[in-house]
Amino acid sequence: MDLTPRQKTRIYVTSMYALAAVIALVVAFAADWERIGRNFFNTEIMADMFPDVILIGVRNTIIYTALSFGIGLIFALVLALMRLSTVVPFRAFAIGYIELFRGLPALITLIFIGFGIPLAFSWSIPGGTLGAGSMGLAIVAGAYMAETIRAGIEAVPKGQSEAARSLGMSKTRTMFTIILPQAFRIIIPPLTNELVLLIKDTSLFFVLGSTVDSKELTKFSRDFMNLTKNATPLTVAAILYLLITLPLTFLVRRLEKSAAKAR
Amino acid sequence: MTDSTHPLAYEGPAIAVRELHKRFDELEVLKGIDFHVDPGEVVCVIGPSGSGKSTLLRCINRLEESQAGQILIEGEDITHPDADVDKLRTRIGMVFQQFNLFPHLTVLRNLTIGPVGVLKQDKAAANAYAKEMLGRVGLADKVEAYPSHLSGGQQQRVAIARALCMQPDMMLFDEPTSALDPELIGEVLDVMRTLADEGMTMMIVTHEISFAHEVADRVVFMDGGVVVEEGPPSDVLDNPQTDRAKQFLRQLHEH
Ligand SMILES: Nc1ncnc2c1ncn2[C@@H]1O[C@H](COP(=O)(O)OP(=O)(O)OP(=O)(O)O)[C@@H](O)[C@H]1O
Ligand SMILES: [Mg+2]
Repeated sequence: MDLTPRQKTRIYVTSMYALAAVIALVVAFAADWERIGRNFFNTEIMADMFPDVILIGVRNTIIYTALSFGIGLIFALVLALMRLSTVVPFRAFAIGYIELFRGLPALITLIFIGFGIPLAFSWSIPGGTLGAGSMGLAIVAGAYMAETIRAGIEAVPKGQSEAARSLGMSKTRTMFTIILPQAFRIIIPPLTNELVLLIKDTSLFFVLGSTVDSKELTKFSRDFMNLTKNATPLTVAAILYLLITLPLTFLVRRLEKSAAKAR
Repeated sequence: MTDSTHPLAYEGPAIAVRELHKRFDELEVLKGIDFHVDPGEVVCVIGPSGSGKSTLLRCINRLEESQAGQILIEGEDITHPDADVDKLRTRIGMVFQQFNLFPHLTVLRNLTIGPVGVLKQDKAAANAYAKEMLGRVGLADKVEAYPSHLSGGQQQRVAIARALCMQPDMMLFDEPTSALDPELIGEVLDVMRTLADEGMTMMIVTHEISFAHEVADRVVFMDGGVVVEEGPPSDVLDNPQTDRAKQFLRQLHEH
């Protein structure tokens, strides 16, 4: 029996739909819905979590993210400028820093800042979890964003700095008034991606310990899970994370599309 | 110096280039250029692609560093290591083939960023002067526009106005119409013609031979990193002496 390619495709697609339907039915009937509902979508536990999950968990996640991102961006800018500097020691330092902190797990850096430094010097970064954690994440994010900023600076056409210099602007003035404003416009999408990664990375703050009021979303939910012996708090945390990250991801996609159009 | 009203008045060429050598690594691009532009003079530089015209122009405001020879701007050697390059550049207006307007700034900000940021002019005065210059290039209505909303010809006219806002002593043009659609070339050449008529000192790299013929006081023909021929347009353009110039001009006419 000879089939045309078109018939073959149709048979293939139909059988795939059939298979998917069978799997869905089996899952629907075999799964213990009552148990799943009780353990993952328990409305009583959900109600118990509010409003603290927002007032403490989400709030702290946002504060930690904003602080890490803000400090990290400053680090990144300084590193990117050092990386592009003609002064060799600056460049070497920037390359070393960037490779070091991109190569290490963020958790190691956090533990080092949170416990290593206090052990060694009997001095810790002020601000407790907030200070040490934000500084640790900022150090790591700075390394990643430095490369992003450098790429942005290099993407600005050379004619821009030549035009600025030929107006008598100094190198520094040219960088800050002509190059960087254009570079940042170019790198808004990758920087937003970095922000999304950072939101998720604040869950690493758990290693630094926390007080009742300083828990971020993951720690808050995990403690609630241990308290209630139920997985519902994790579901809530997951949904809340997505409510923050998904709009940002969509925003990135739109920005990238409009940037592609502008080109 | 007896003239008390112009204590810095300088008698002599605006631009004087002596025995200038420039190499990019192994490639020697300028092989001992001697060249000058007198105050108020319009000099057009022509020559085949790769002959070093842009490089010479860019050396004059030190966008490129030369290795040997002198460049004197109003008598001051700017190749000297101690020369204040930023200050020098405020006196020399530069117009690029690709316009190089700042796309993130409005036309007005493009024009005032130099006067306000570098020359420390009062903002209101700089704005007023910028609007006046925009009027001169026929774009008074584009004050608040962004460069991307302008045609190529309009962008190049803004670029010329931007250079004028620095009130430069002289202007350098590197193929200012080469990136333009044919129908937009005229409006830019008109602005340059007016400037020339008003006595601006200009050095223009161009392939617009009829424009050079009309506007230039002197034409310089470059080839292979040296000045091959120079003189009034009626000599160099109509009656070239060297074979290289003859061949170059014949090829231009064929296009
Ligand atoms: N930054 C650079 N690095 C290396 N070589 C360069 C550089 N800029 C120019 N050159 C080379 O120097 C030579 C002269 O270039 P230049 O741009 O001055 O020529 P031109 O006369 O302006 O030509 P065109 O009419 O094409 O603009 C060319 O061979 C070019 O490849
Ligand atoms: Mg050129």
